[in-house]
Amino acid sequence: MFDFIAYPMANLILFLYNLLGQSTVAAISVLTLLINLLILPLTLQQQKSTRKMQEFQPQIQKLQKKHANDKERLSQEQMKLYQEAGINPMAGCLPLLIQMPIWFGLIAAIRYCIPTTPLEVFQFSQHIYKWFVGTVPLQSTFLRMDLGQPPGGAQPWWAYALPALVLATSWLQQKLLAPPVAADDQSQSAMMNKQMQIMMPLMMAFFTLQYSTGLSIYFIISSIIRMAQYYYVRRQQDDGPGGSKRLAQPKKQKS
Amino acid sequence: MNRFLIWRWPIALAMLAALLLGASGCAGGNVRATSWTGATLVGDTLYVADLTQVVALNAADGERLWAFPADPENDGRGTFYVAPAVDQDRVIVASQMPPSGFFSQPRNVVWALDRETGRELWPLPFEQAVGQYVEGGAISDGIVVIGNSDNNIYALDVESGASRWNPPFETGHRVWATPLIVEDTVYVGSMDRHLYALRLSDGAKLWSFPPDGDDASGAFASTPALQDGTLYIGAFDNRLYAIDAETGTELWHFESDSWFWGSPVVDGDVVYAADVKGNVYAVNASTGAQIWHEARDVAVRAGMALSEDGSRLFVGGQDGALFALDSNDGYVMWSQPSDGQMLSELIVDELVVYELVLYGESYRIRALYTDNGREVWTYPHGVAE
Repeated sequence: MFDFIAYPMANLILFLYNLLGQSTVAAISVLTLLINLLILPLTLQQQKSTRKMQEFQPQIQKLQKKHANDKERLSQEQMKLYQEAGINPMAGCLPLLIQMPIWFGLIAAIRYCIPTTPLEVFQFSQHIYKWFVGTVPLQSTFLRMDLGQPPGGAQPWWAYALPALVLATSWLQQKLLAPPVAADDQSQSAMMNKQMQIMMPLMMAFFTLQYSTGLSIYFIISSIIRMAQYYYVRRQQDDGPGGSKRLAQPKKQKS
Repeated sequence: MNRFLIWRWPIALAMLAALLLGASGCAGGNVRATSWTGATLVGDTLYVADLTQVVALNAADGERLWAFPADPENDGRGTFYVAPAVDQDRVIVASQMPPSGFFSQPRNVVWALDRETGRELWPLPFEQAVGQYVEGGAISDGIVVIGNSDNNIYALDVESGASRWNPPFETGHRVWATPLIVEDTVYVGSMDRHLYALRLSDGAKLWSFPPDGDDASGAFASTPALQDGTLYIGAFDNRLYAIDAETGTELWHFESDSWFWGSPVVDGDVVYAADVKGNVYAVNASTGAQIWHEARDVAVRAGMALSEDGSRLFVGGQDGALFALDSNDGYVMWSQPSDGQMLSELIVDELVVYELVLYGESYRIRALYTDNGREVWTYPHGVAE
């Protein structure tokens, strides 16, 4: 189903592998950077939106207190506020949805390049670009882990460290990037955001336990990039017009 | 608060992920074919790995003589892919048993069966390997040698199933080729881009091609053909190699447009080989010069087979068609279509060619006359195409 993404992606991995001294980890890492560069406009928009929502938290809380007994009204007022401020509260889901086909394409691409079963490699043999034909299969071992296999089986025990790292980095990413929620906020969207912060890291860790170890590299590097982006956006907004740093600056004394 | 409303987004995401996993073919399943199967003809009996069973068939009429396990529904032994290795008394087969728990791994098992009855022989099957067996083993001098996707080549005592090479010979990548054993030497290719010559008795390395330190070639996933001290083998670097069997020195190579996955066939002074894009070549065995080329424009996984008199060459395509070519010039003498995929090695007897055709997740074995492609029998019997 995702072969239209998987085949070009697998060929790109082969190209990067040859370019980067035949290092599978380096090839997957650079591919991750490229994918994140491709979806950068979306993720930046999402992060800016999240930051804006943070700024509107005091107004949101006021609305929550004001319409504590009328959920429908509260929802309407919140949406009105978001519309006026140009915030899309669902913007956070778009990069996620766009990334899903990329994940599944990548799962297949890694399996084509570091094959564990022959049928799919044979299928891929008909779609390899002529410049990379001799490159398959890629070197599969990294720190004695088989990048084409999931943790467990013959993998060393530290292969489980990668899903654990995926869990930790994606949880941290969710924590930073998710729209802020007040501790006493029991609204539907707040609860939803809280659940997402738990579900997404668990889902990613589950993927990496089930599929090739190489996929963990993608998730870990992606999370780190998102976090770096977050700090960049925060700094930009803080330094920009109306940013919190500027607002905090003392007014110059007239001489 | 409505709990469903709270969880709807996470639930929706998880459902979407599960849906996509299933649709992408990523979801695990016990009987989902991940490889092709294989068969071995010894005397009048065809021994076939048939996914859920190993069956022994009468080669003359396709009648089933025995099956292991007899009742795969209630007494399953996993999925059998690899071609059985057969000696005087035994049939050595391998299967992949499904994982017992959600996070556990499949078990990869080698079994020894009585050649006459299909009865299990070893008290305990061999379960040391942790990867899938993709191709079958070879037996010589009471030892069966078989490669595994865990990068190792195992040698087992055919009497007891005990490991004879301790530790097994470790290569740098998966081993997806059936070894060739000649006297005390085992020749086996690895996906680590080397062809190895190992001593049968203890697994010591005699040589590797290319030698250590030299530029690597392509991955080797087929069994070499041997004639007059020369090994012929294709690789994933689009090359067909002729290698001195004694020293591992390259004599010549022939370059194609795509991978050579199936084994070449050598007959007199001609080597026949097909690449995965369906180009069939006849090459001079002494010099590597091309004699003729026939483009079939169909994906070809398995190697070719030659009729006993050397006049016909058989090639099976992924589209399910079997072609009979004139070995003198590559002219197509006849072709026989099927609705399945043909990925397994062909077997040719005196007058009959046997093919294994994959239909989704089940196989059919067909016996066809070599001179005109007419059907002799099919197994299972009475299954319409």
